[in-house]
Amino acid sequence: MEVTINRQDDKTIVVFAGRLDTPSSQEVSNALEPVVADAKGTIILDCKDLEYISSSGLRIFLTVRKAAAAQGGSVIVKGMKDAIRNIFMMTGFLNLFQIEA
Amino acid sequence: MKLKDTVNKVFLKQSARAGLLLVIVAALTLEATGIVQYYFSQKGIKEEATRRAESQLEATKLKIINIIDQAEAAVRNSVWLAQWALEVPDSLYAVSRRIVENNPVIVGSTVALVPGYDKKHPLFSPYCFQAPGETGIHVSSLATEEYNYPEQEWFTKPLELQAGYWSEPYIDVGGGDILMTTYSIPLRDRYGRIAGVLTADISLDWLTDLVGNVQVYPNAYSMMISRSGRIMVCPAESLVMRRTAQEVIADMDDTAAFAGVNRSMIAGERGNATIRYNKDVTHIFYAPVEKTGWSMSIMVPDSEIYGNIRRMGLMVKLLQLLGLLMLILILRALMMNQLKFIDLNERKERIESELHIASGIQMSMIPKIFPPFPERKDLDMSATIVPAKEVGGDLYDFYIRDEKLFFCIGDVSGKGVPASLVMAVTRSLFRTVSAHESSPQRILTTMNDSMAEVNESNMFVTFFVGILDLANGHMRYCNAGHNAPIMLTDAKRPLPVEANLPLGVLKGFNFKEQETDMNYDDAIFLYTDGLTEAENLHHELFGEDRMYNVLSARRPSDGQMTAMKEAVREFVGDAPQSDDLTMLFIHYLPEAEPEETERHLILHNDIQQIPQLAEFVETIADEKKLDQATALNLNLALEEAVTNVIMYAYPEGSDGLVDIEAIIRKDSLEFIISDNGVPFDPTKAPEADVTLGAEERRIGGLGIFLVRKIMDSVSYARNDGKNILSMTKKI
Repeated sequence: MEVTINRQDDKTIVVFAGRLDTPSSQEVSNALEPVVADAKGTIILDCKDLEYISSSGLRIFLTVRKAAAAQGGSVIVKGMKDAIRNIFMMTGFLNLFQIEA
Repeated sequence: MKLKDTVNKVFLKQSARAGLLLVIVAALTLEATGIVQYYFSQKGIKEEATRRAESQLEATKLKIINIIDQAEAAVRNSVWLAQWALEVPDSLYAVSRRIVENNPVIVGSTVALVPGYDKKHPLFSPYCFQAPGETGIHVSSLATEEYNYPEQEWFTKPLELQAGYWSEPYIDVGGGDILMTTYSIPLRDRYGRIAGVLTADISLDWLTDLVGNVQVYPNAYSMMISRSGRIMVCPAESLVMRRTAQEVIADMDDTAAFAGVNRSMIAGERGNATIRYNKDVTHIFYAPVEKTGWSMSIMVPDSEIYGNIRRMGLMVKLLQLLGLLMLILILRALMMNQLKFIDLNERKERIESELHIASGIQMSMIPKIFPPFPERKDLDMSATIVPAKEVGGDLYDFYIRDEKLFFCIGDVSGKGVPASLVMAVTRSLFRTVSAHESSPQRILTTMNDSMAEVNESNMFVTFFVGILDLANGHMRYCNAGHNAPIMLTDAKRPLPVEANLPLGVLKGFNFKEQETDMNYDDAIFLYTDGLTEAENLHHELFGEDRMYNVLSARRPSDGQMTAMKEAVREFVGDAPQSDDLTMLFIHYLPEAEPEETERHLILHNDIQQIPQLAEFVETIADEKKLDQATALNLNLALEEAVTNVIMYAYPEGSDGLVDIEAIIRKDSLEFIISDNGVPFDPTKAPEADVTLGAEERRIGGLGIFLVRKIMDSVSYARNDGKNILSMTKKI
């Protein structure tokens, strides 16, 4: 699992690559701490290379979403593969995020 | 000579009287059992019909509510976005578009503003919809003078109620005559002012299929009406959405009966009613669909429910008459013959043989052709009754229904004609009750209750019922005071049986059911005490040792029967047989084990081992050539279930194991996850509510929700200090 964070002004791009399973969620969650701490701008979660996500991964997405809502920022989930999109739909997460292709 | 004539006359008179008495007793017994049987069957069938109808209503309702909930959740969860977009009204169309795009159940959506809210547009309502049969999303505006949306129900009602509102179903003329309903909720801007409403249209096309396809009985049919009584689904298509139930009822000759049910339905009540209209009796079962105010009903013609049992009752009556007629004929023939047998000894023999014939009629009802299922290779069975001189009351019976072998053996207390009549009753009760019951415990309970009810002679029956599932060897059984059957596996020992009372002793007795598994080549031997208590001239008993001795040799079932009979005959010698000897031998020889392979993985309670699990699942998915999405879902379900164990089963810092067993079958995959940790049933844990918005979402519960959503069945058991979670996915 690889996560890259790219911040420019009020725009943050987080790129996920690989499998976001339970063991890797812990480090991803640590890596995203600064993003959660300062979520005033637009946060783009780029998922085009995300292969897999478990419930602990979904929780990270939810944490970012809640932080942004509390601080007046916005979250866009981008480029999900069909299988990932299906899990989002199954859990009702699709309605919680602004989705872009 | 003269004396002999007188003796003859007296004798004839006496036997005529005895014969008449016999016929009357037989007729009364048969009639009484017939009535009892009919009463219980009818009661059972009524309960069954109610259960079937109610479970269909409930299942259909849940399917509808599921879709309704999805639409409500989608609208609620989009309010934040709409609020945000209110700042720039032109961007509101994107909100509607997103709702339609992301939620397959929603076919249209609009944000309609209160007139005058936006300075630029007096009326404003951009509408996004999915036209039937077309891909892509169309956009139009509802803000036209002729439509005048501020007057529409979907706009006024939620604002008036200050809450979400499901509109009355309506036919959408624009979009190709589809039945639709609209959910709308009031929308406030960030200053708390009412800005308009946010809506979602769902097509109710599926409703016609869903409700129309509910088939409780072949000629039953279903209807659905809205909260105002408008007919939404009905077999007469000309009525759908054109009439209300009230109007249809008003046109009937007799309005009273249906009007009451209709009122209850509109009031949102649940229940059932039996209605007589133009000589037709119909049973109506109805239940409300919450939130929408709709009510669904299932109508079943009376003949559909009771037709079979009435036909059966008639058949039983005919058979009873036939039996009595035969009895009379036999008695008459015997009496004529008796003139030739003045000798009292001979006369005694005559009566005995007469009783034999009577018992022969009863016996003719028991399956006696062996092998009974010549086409089946998985079952080798034989049975025999060797009647004693005096008629007794032994019986056995068996038949196959739904790939299950139903079998029984029983011994009526006492001897003679009464015992053999009770035996006939018992056997016919067994057939009737087991025809629609698959639990030995319930079969015995029902049989016992009806027998105890009319048991004036205080006769009872020791009885054993077994139901062997021929597909997997699983056997459920219940013993009512009979000798424990002998299980012949590698060892030979009596089947463990509960100490239940015999049938007919105590009404309402609670029988305990048991179960066991038969493997390939196992056999079961059932017998009555006529075997172990067969007596020789020295008053010694045949006993269990001699019985086990015969059983220890391997023979086909008919060989076992012959050998056992031969052993008894040799032992008894010239002593008269005092009791019926009844035996049943079932040898289970299923074809090769069901095709399945097993895989095993053992992990430590360390979250870092999850990738090993992924690899394990991946291998199985490859082997079964599953598509990528299914493989990923399977992976997800396994990870969630196993993570649960790793995180919570063992105290922190202690080492424990998680055992994952995969059973790979032709059309399903089963995973059994077990651990030695603290008792925990994840299927009972609270499940995440996926319809909540982001702010109310809790962290927990999502894992088990995903497991349930992905797998077709999930079950938990605690056994030998282990948590065992098994889950199956059909493929």
